[in-house]
Amino acid sequence: MFFQQLINGIVLGSTYALIALGYTMVYGIVELINFAHGEIYMCGAFVGMYLVTVFKVPFVLAFLVAMIMAGLLGVTVEFIAYRPLRRSSRLAALISAIGASIFLQNLALLVMGPRPYSFPSPFTPKVYKTSLVIISKVELIILAVSFLLMLGLTFLIQKTKIGKAMRATAQDKDAASLMGININRVITTTFAVGSALGAAAGVMVGIYFRSVAPMMGLMPGLKGFVAAVLGGIGSIPGAMLGGLLLGVAEVMGAAYISSQYRDAVAFTILIVVLFFKPAGLIGRFLQEKV
Amino acid sequence: MTRKNVFWATLLIFCMVLVLATGCGQPANAPEGEGEGEGPSAGAEVVKVGMVGPLTGGAATYGTSVRNGVQIAIDEANENEDIPGVVLELNAEDTEGDWSKAANAFSKLIEQNKVNVIIGGVLSSETEAGGPIAMGGQIPAISPSSTATGLTLGNPYLFRNCLSDEVQASQLAEYAVTELGFEKFAILYTNNDYGVALKNAFEETAKELAEVVAVEAFMDNDENFKPQLTSIQTKGPEAIFIAGYYTEAAKIAQQALEQDLEVQFLGADGFYSPVLMEIGGEAVEGAIFTAGFHSGDESAVVQNFVNKYRELFNEEPDMFAAQAYDAARIVIAAMKSKGTSAEQIREGLAETKDFPGITGNTSIDEEGDTLKDVLILKVEEGIFNRIR
Repeated sequence: MFFQQLINGIVLGSTYALIALGYTMVYGIVELINFAHGEIYMCGAFVGMYLVTVFKVPFVLAFLVAMIMAGLLGVTVEFIAYRPLRRSSRLAALISAIGASIFLQNLALLVMGPRPYSFPSPFTPKVYKTSLVIISKVELIILAVSFLLMLGLTFLIQKTKIGKAMRATAQDKDAASLMGININRVITTTFAVGSALGAAAGVMVGIYFRSVAPMMGLMPGLKGFVAAVLGGIGSIPGAMLGGLLLGVAEVMGAAYISSQYRDAVAFTILIVVLFFKPAGLIGRFLQEKV
Repeated sequence: MTRKNVFWATLLIFCMVLVLATGCGQPANAPEGEGEGEGPSAGAEVVKVGMVGPLTGGAATYGTSVRNGVQIAIDEANENEDIPGVVLELNAEDTEGDWSKAANAFSKLIEQNKVNVIIGGVLSSETEAGGPIAMGGQIPAISPSSTATGLTLGNPYLFRNCLSDEVQASQLAEYAVTELGFEKFAILYTNNDYGVALKNAFEETAKELAEVVAVEAFMDNDENFKPQLTSIQTKGPEAIFIAGYYTEAAKIAQQALEQDLEVQFLGADGFYSPVLMEIGGEAVEGAIFTAGFHSGDESAVVQNFVNKYRELFNEEPDMFAAQAYDAARIVIAAMKSKGTSAEQIREGLAETKDFPGITGNTSIDEEGDTLKDVLILKVEEGIFNRIR
């Protein structure tokens, strides 16, 4: 049973990791917790579901279009809700983020209605059995796609020009802009990439659990945020590690302690980790810029 | 800088107004369509009927169904002029599923809107919060769906039109053991009033008659049930009783299938929705559950309601809509027999006996609780069939 639960945890954790990446990237660049990220995840899932069920688009294409649309949505939210507040207090931007989250949630409720929508799985259901674990095809696909996306992101940040610009902006915005980096473009790209990853997670969760609903972003959004903090907010490997760890912790907590305290176990781990490593597992404290 | 701030503030206010307007707009537009009934019945007395329930938020699907059901009943009464010289007007209040907002909604309906009767709350916690306020204001309230134990005890102004959790769960446990012959049960319950009450009653009866090998919990809106199912799988039950609602039940069945856990799924009235099959598909085939309503019933009253509902709201009515429709019709019957003042409605409700509702013959006992048959339904080829 242990290995089965471990697999369950890793699958869940890899979706948390994708969501956490969106939080951590945005935080790394603009030091803002983008609370609307959970809603972008939800919108991505809805776009994917619509394309597949109504327009009969092949799944892979729907997946990519959902990522692009969510990227555009992320950029729009940044432009409307965060950019005008960039020079004001951080608290104002945070409240604006919460506002954007509530706005998108209620908009989805109004447009789509409160009920959950079925998201038919594009894959023929298939289960692979070994002596230790049972794993389904969807789970394998989620693991593979998450891994590829994380690899792609690492490449983007470490090896490309825009990635270099992102890292420079994260270190020191003013110095970066003095070096000729277009800060606005970097921020826009960050939001687009982070949101696209969130949408990827949304679509995959949608097919995994066969449904999408307007409120689906609430808990995963929160968990993704927790995963980002756990790994060390602002750190990209931290978000991946934090997501996986949170997923496994949650599943193990439910399996071996009590399913009633599933979330409580996960959050207790967060508190304990932050107690000993206040900057998160891989996070570093940077000197506050004056 | 300042100009930018002004622009921003305006935009923010605009957004807030938009959210507010849309949030409250929905309940408001319901009565408007009807309230204009001045033409034929000009000079008629307007009697306001309140409705309290979650119209937005996570539980909005239940509240919306209730409002729709009540709306149909009120429209019918107005069209047929069931109560001579009286036009009924629906005043719906949103709670967002929050009990403190439900308390406010009850107060607002009683003090500002001056309703004579309230249909609601929808969730048990809402009714628990609103019941004492209704009693204080001496306005009768009838909940179409709050199934918590002992909800109506000691409150002469509070009634309900739904089966209590205990009755459903213990009857189902008995049926599963004696008729279906299962001996090893697992229970998976949602950790709220509804789930806990069902779990307790089912566990008690099932333990008396057979064996309960595992009890696991989950939270409302959970999506991943793999850890619980993996634990349950090692205990080898023959049947799993899911004490929760259809969305979660469908996902549980789906995920059980994915991990090769073949068991009989049992449930309560929370299963009753076409969404169960939409999401659950093959996985929920054969699931057996208790219900208070069966839309496949061929009687004329049921089909009339089902057709009207489809026509008006473009979806299948669920149990919440049916029970709300009946609750509203019970209120209208009380008005017809006694009169339209709050006190007269209360008397009429308390005396309800063998009311021929679409959710079965309904009587109200001296505690304000409902007496009616428990139906047992089974999912067969994607539709609900009645097996008892």
